[in-house]
Amino acid sequence: MPRLNSFRELEHLRESLRGQRHVITTTVMVCGGTGCQASQSRAVIDAVKDELSTQGLSQSVRLCITGCHGFCEQGPVMIIEPGNIFYCHVSPGDAFEIVSQTVVRGEVIERLLYTDPVSGEKIQTESEIPFYHSQDRQVLSQNLMVDPCSIEDYIAVGGYSALTKALYNNMAPEDIIGEIKSSGLRGRGGGGFPTGRKWSECREAPGDEKYVICNADEGDPGAYMDRCVLEGNPHLVLEGMMIGAWAIGAGKGYVYVRNEYPLAVEHSRLAVEQARELGLLGDNILGSPFSFDVDIARGGGAFVCGESTALMASIEGKVGEPRAKDVHTVVDGLYHKPTTLNNVETWANVPSIILNGSSWFAAKGSEGSKGTKILALTGRIKNTGLVEVAMGTPISTVIFDIGGGAIDGNKIKAVQTGGPSGGCLPLDKFDLPVDFDVLYEAGSMVGSGGMVVMDESSCMVDVAKYFLTFLQDESCGKCLPCRVGIDRMLEVITDITEGRGRPEQIDLLEELAETVSQTALCGLGKTAPNPVLSTLRYFRSEYEAHISEKKCPAGVCKALITYWIDPDKCPGCGVCIQGCAHQAITGGKQQVHVIDNQLCQKCGICRSECKFDAIQII
Amino acid sequence: MLQQVNVNIDGAIIRATRGTSVLDAAVEYGICIPHLCHVPYLSDIGACRLCVVEHVVNGRSNVTASCTLNVEEGMVIRTNTDRIRKLRRNLAELLVAQAPNSRAIQDIAVRCGVRQVRYSFRNDDCVLCGRCVQMCTEVWKARAIGFVGRGKERHVDYPFSVRPDFCKQCGSCVQLCPMTIPPCDGPMKPGEEYLCLKCESQLMLADETPDHCVWCKLGEGFACGRYVQ
Repeated sequence: MPRLNSFRELEHLRESLRGQRHVITTTVMVCGGTGCQASQSRAVIDAVKDELSTQGLSQSVRLCITGCHGFCEQGPVMIIEPGNIFYCHVSPGDAFEIVSQTVVRGEVIERLLYTDPVSGEKIQTESEIPFYHSQDRQVLSQNLMVDPCSIEDYIAVGGYSALTKALYNNMAPEDIIGEIKSSGLRGRGGGGFPTGRKWSECREAPGDEKYVICNADEGDPGAYMDRCVLEGNPHLVLEGMMIGAWAIGAGKGYVYVRNEYPLAVEHSRLAVEQARELGLLGDNILGSPFSFDVDIARGGGAFVCGESTALMASIEGKVGEPRAKDVHTVVDGLYHKPTTLNNVETWANVPSIILNGSSWFAAKGSEGSKGTKILALTGRIKNTGLVEVAMGTPISTVIFDIGGGAIDGNKIKAVQTGGPSGGCLPLDKFDLPVDFDVLYEAGSMVGSGGMVVMDESSCMVDVAKYFLTFLQDESCGKCLPCRVGIDRMLEVITDITEGRGRPEQIDLLEELAETVSQTALCGLGKTAPNPVLSTLRYFRSEYEAHISEKKCPAGVCKALITYWIDPDKCPGCGVCIQGCAHQAITGGKQQVHVIDNQLCQKCGICRSECKFDAIQII
Repeated sequence: MLQQVNVNIDGAIIRATRGTSVLDAAVEYGICIPHLCHVPYLSDIGACRLCVVEHVVNGRSNVTASCTLNVEEGMVIRTNTDRIRKLRRNLAELLVAQAPNSRAIQDIAVRCGVRQVRYSFRNDDCVLCGRCVQMCTEVWKARAIGFVGRGKERHVDYPFSVRPDFCKQCGSCVQLCPMTIPPCDGPMKPGEEYLCLKCESQLMLADETPDHCVWCKLGEGFACGRYVQ
C-alpha cells in the first residue's frame, strides 16, 4: 500500500475501504484469541473458510478472525452479522451447518446457542447474554469486529482518526495533556497514578530525547487483559502511544511484551510494520512535523520486569532488576532520559478520550476513578472471562450479575483482586466499588484487574501461602526485606499450615509484613505482603483455627485434616478402594469401608470418586 | 560551583553539597544511620535497606532508604523515630538470622536494638550486600564478579562460575566483605537465637546514644562512612 502523506489521504483511504466493505452483507466473526485457539478455533476457521469457498461464498461473505471476545470459557465463539447471532463451543464439524443454514438462509442453529447457566434458557444474540449486556465495553468493543492483523480493518472502523485530530485540529501538545488531565485517566497497570500528571511532568523534564514505553509485561496469575487488548487490537495501543509521544515530545517508543505471549508479539510486530508501511510511523507522520517510531522489546519471563525501572533496565539489555526511584522515571528513565511508561490498557484508552473529549470519559466512573476497567474474572463462578465495566461498579455486580454467582451451589467466601500485590476481600465487602482509592483503603487494590473468586472450599491461609510462594520465586533478590522477608513469611505460614504454628507467630507475621511493605526497594516488595495482611485482617479466625485448634476449616491444608468414612452413608460399593493409590482403604463388599490414616496420603481421590458423599474431611 | 543546600535532619540544620546522599550528609555530621551495603566511594544500590529514614513531605512521612535519596533544599528527615527504630530492628533481625556468623552483622544487629531473634538461624556465607560487586565494577572496572540468579538463588559468582583472566585476584572484594570478620564467641549457634550483648559495651550503649556516632567498633571493622572520610 502506498505511503500516506497527508491527513486527506488517510480519510480518502478510509472512504474507499468503507465503500468496499459496503457490498459485503454477511460477516462471520470467529475469535482467534489465545483462549479460543486453545480450544481449536484455528481448525474452526479453516473449516469455515473451506466451506465458504466450496459453496462459492468467499467473495460475498467476509470471514473475520478477530481478537478475544472475552468469553473464553465458551470458546471457540463465533458471531454472525447481521443478526448478532452468537455461537459457542463451535467445532470444525459444525462448519457445513453454519454456512448452509445461518450464513445462507439466516436460520439459527439451536444446538450451538449459549445456555444461560442461571435460567437454563438458550440465548440467541450476543447482546442479550447476561455476561455481555451488563458490561460497558469501550476498549474491548472493537475486539469483536476488527482483524488484529489488518490495518485496513482498523482504519475502516475509524482508527487513527484520534491521531489526525491531535495532529491537525489545532491541538497543541499542552492541549492533549490538558484533555488527558481533565479526563481523570489513571494508570491501569496497578498503581493508579494520574496519567495526565505523568505526561506533563515528562514533557517539562529537561532533555531533547524522550521515550514512551508500553508495558505489556503482564504476569499476574489469572490476569490477561493486556494480552487480549494487544492481541486483539494492537493498532489501538499504537495510536495511543503516538498521541502520547506527540504530547510529550518523544521520538521513540517501545512495546515491552512478554515472550510468553507469542500471539501478542506477532500481532504487535505486524501492526508496527503495517503502520510503518503506511507512513503512520516513521519520519513526518502524515506530512506533519511529528516523527515517531516504535520497536518491540520482548521480555524474558521475569515478573519483576513489570516494574518500571526493571523493565527499562531490561530494554537497555541489563539484568532486569529495579533500582531506587527517588528520581522519577519521567525525569531519569530509559537510558537516563525522560520516559513515560504506561500500561497497555492506559494507552488503549487514550484515542477515545481525544476523539470524544474528556467530559465523555469523565462521565463514566466514580469520584476518583474515571472511565472503564477491564477485569479478568476467574475462579469458582459460572461465567469466567474478560469483563469491562465502568469504574465504581460494585464488586457484587461483577461477580453475581456478570459472573453468574457460585458454581455447584457453594457459597462465595472471598474475592482476590489485583493479583499477587492485591488482597482478599470477604463477602461483606462486596458492595465496595471497583475504585482505586476505595479498594486501597480496604487493604486490597484494583491492580491490573485480576479477580479470583473463592468459595467455601478455599482456605485463606493456603491462598496467602500460594501468593507468597509465587512472589518468593519472582523476587529479584536485590533487597533484603523482599528476598529474606518474603522467605521468612513463607516459612512462618508453612509452619501454620502444617500444624506447627504458635499463637505469637500471627503477630510476628503481621510485624514482618509491615516491615517488608515499608522498606522494600520496589513496588513488588512493597505490595508483596498484601495477601498476608488482607487475609489477616478479614480472615484472622482461620489463622487462629489453624494454630489453636490445629484444624483447617476449609479442609485444604493436608497436615491438619483426616479423611473419614461415614458408616451411615457408606454402602460398601468398593469404588474408593479401587481409586486409592496407596491401598489405605479396606473393607469387603457391602461392608462399611475404613481408611487407614497411617497409609492415607490425603490425595482426595476417594472423596471425588464417592457417589454417596460418605467420605468426609474432619 | 558546588551548590550548598540546607537539610533538616533530626532537627539539626545541616549544610550539604547538592548531589550527596542523605546518608552521607548525616554520617559526616555525626548522626548515626546504621548501614551495610553503603561504601562512601562507591555508588549505592540500596540493597540492605538498613539505612531507612522518614522523609517528611507535606506533613506525610515516607519511609525510604537514605543512601539513594539525594539532599534537597528544605528537606526534612527523621532518622530516629519509633517507627524507624522498629523497622530497622526488624530488618537487622532478618539479617542476623541469615548470617549470625559474622561480627559485622552481629554488631549491626546489636546497634539496631535486636535482643532476641525470632527466626531459626541459617548461617549463610553471603548476605548479598553487593559491596564486592560494586568494588570490582566501579573501582577496578573489572566486572570479574557479579550477581547470578534470581530471588533465593541469587549469589555472587564469576561469569559462568569460572575465574576469568581479568580477575587479578587483587582481594579488594574480600577486604570489603562483612562476612570475613570472625564472629565473637558469644552464643550465636542454631538453637540459641539470642545475642549475648557483650558487644554492647563496646558499642558504648547504643540505646543511650542512639543517633550519635560513637566511633563504634562496627565502623572500624568494615568501613563505616565515618571512618573512611
